[in-house]
Amino acid sequence: MSSLRRYLPEHDLMYFGPSPAVYHCHHFNLFLDQTIDDALGFEAGSRLRFLAAREFATPLLAGVAEQSKATTPAEKLELASKLFAGMGHGRLQISADARGGEAKGSFLHYGYSWSQKYGHVVKRRHPADAFGAGFAAAATEVALGTPQDTMTATEVGCVALKAPHCTFSLKPGERAPREPPVGESEVGQQLIPTFNGLYEEVIQPITKGLRDFTAPVQGDERGLVQAFGVYVTLHLAGYYNRISYEAVQQVERKAPHSLGVLEDLLRESGHVCVFNTFGGIILSPEWEGMVGPLTGEALPIVTGCIAIARALGFGRWTVAEFEPGKRLVVRAPCSYESVFYQARYGKAARPNEYFLQGACLAIAQLAHRVEWKNKPVLNADYYNALFRGGPLPWKVEQTKSTACGHPVTEVVVTRNEAARA
Amino acid sequence: MAQSSVKEAVNDVPGLRAVFVTAMPDCLLYDSWIRPEESWAAEEAASYFGDLVRANREGLRALKSWSAEMQVTIESADLLMIVRELRGDFVVTLAFQRDAPLGMVRLHAKRVMERLDQLLPTLEAQERPRAVKITEFLEKYAPDPHAALHRVALRTGIPLGTLRKPETLESSQVALLESSVCDILGLESLSL
Repeated sequence: MSSLRRYLPEHDLMYFGPSPAVYHCHHFNLFLDQTIDDALGFEAGSRLRFLAAREFATPLLAGVAEQSKATTPAEKLELASKLFAGMGHGRLQISADARGGEAKGSFLHYGYSWSQKYGHVVKRRHPADAFGAGFAAAATEVALGTPQDTMTATEVGCVALKAPHCTFSLKPGERAPREPPVGESEVGQQLIPTFNGLYEEVIQPITKGLRDFTAPVQGDERGLVQAFGVYVTLHLAGYYNRISYEAVQQVERKAPHSLGVLEDLLRESGHVCVFNTFGGIILSPEWEGMVGPLTGEALPIVTGCIAIARALGFGRWTVAEFEPGKRLVVRAPCSYESVFYQARYGKAARPNEYFLQGACLAIAQLAHRVEWKNKPVLNADYYNALFRGGPLPWKVEQTKSTACGHPVTEVVVTRNEAARA
Repeated sequence: MAQSSVKEAVNDVPGLRAVFVTAMPDCLLYDSWIRPEESWAAEEAASYFGDLVRANREGLRALKSWSAEMQVTIESADLLMIVRELRGDFVVTLAFQRDAPLGMVRLHAKRVMERLDQLLPTLEAQERPRAVKITEFLEKYAPDPHAALHRVALRTGIPLGTLRKPETLESSQVALLESSVCDILGLESLSL
């Protein structure tokens, strides 16, 4: 697993095998999938999530099979199961031939973590594992050499619906339209010269330490990575980007008046991710061992968060300005969102790195609103207490994006003077 | 109702930790008394007891076993609670220490209910717009309450600003709101 992970150190982007990849937590994964379904409805939303998973799992599985010299269908399916579990997505066993078949999942990241986070609060009506379905379909195509983009997978049983395990029915279908690829070479064409920001002497060693720390991490006996109070996945950046931007495009076409709330919710997926995952890392004994005890000041939280973002493959985020209590400006030569957008769709009409926007807002909240010395438990109650009601004390605006042709990506977070403390 | 009145109604009840009076049908806190050493927030708890009695009533009706005299007894790890509807206007919840004998709890509960029945006024039922009740229900039970209204806006196409003034919704919008809230909460219908 660790030999498949590579970084572009100047840009802090990550690849897993041939595929652009990032680490993300279950808070982000669940909220983003939910937002796609809220925007498009479950049928269209799950279809898009399936297609995106199949599209971006295919080059990963084909590339790793070639690199591993796996040649037979059985070897390739076994390799797919190992990759899936190693990435923290759970256990997936596929049994299929060219006419289709079945995949059986246990502890699948989406369904299982949904049950853990929401299962005691609400009843779910639809299965949760479109990513697992797409991965199983891609694994079957790659293993059997069947035509690409033709295998379908339907989740017929899901632990999020109280089934004992997840089950997928695999069947050949019609070929889906082929999208322009976004792999290493396409990403490489979008990169501009990198740059540094303030406090690099603090940030860069932490990033290196975190990369060393996460290098051997892979799924446990359940195929899950449970750390820092969250379930972590090594995930395909293309999956996140395709579902986000296609949902935005569809809503722009069909219900343009709803675009603002969709963008708010896409930002929120980044916000909830960074608040919980970055916060969990900063509160961990491992962090104290690597960085030192928390001082309660805002600056070490900001620099720590920037270092974590780089280590997780989000891009070369830099601190351009920071006035505690007033203003945070983050600049980057690119993000995993901007390079995808440019490669697939060309120039963006407006800054649209939603994850980055929500993440920077969360960094300001973490730096100013959390009593670190009290070691708070970052759970749903704590999150709701801080962020329920409004307006909130910090606001975010993305002022520039390299996806728009600007020389840098820039996000500005400022104090919202009209808001509650 | 003055705080001292509730306190007077319960001041000789041994083992009592709190009393919550919830006004129905809106499940809003009407009054409460909490032992000083407790850190409970009455507003956070009271509405759930109203919903509990309402759900219990519907369940009993489904079993053709409903009667106005019913009360709910809850034995949790560290609390023994009696929840009871009073005249249809109120739900009264008494929270006792867990080790209080059940027979004694029932006896005292009966006495307290009789006292409160004398003390509590008759409420003029104010029928609030259904959309207001739906929105309150969503914000109370949605898993991510800070984002719940955004989700409804995205699902229904109703502008966020309009949803924030639910009393202004048109009937077709109320139907959309209710349907999306049911979907978000995984419910067939809303018991309001």
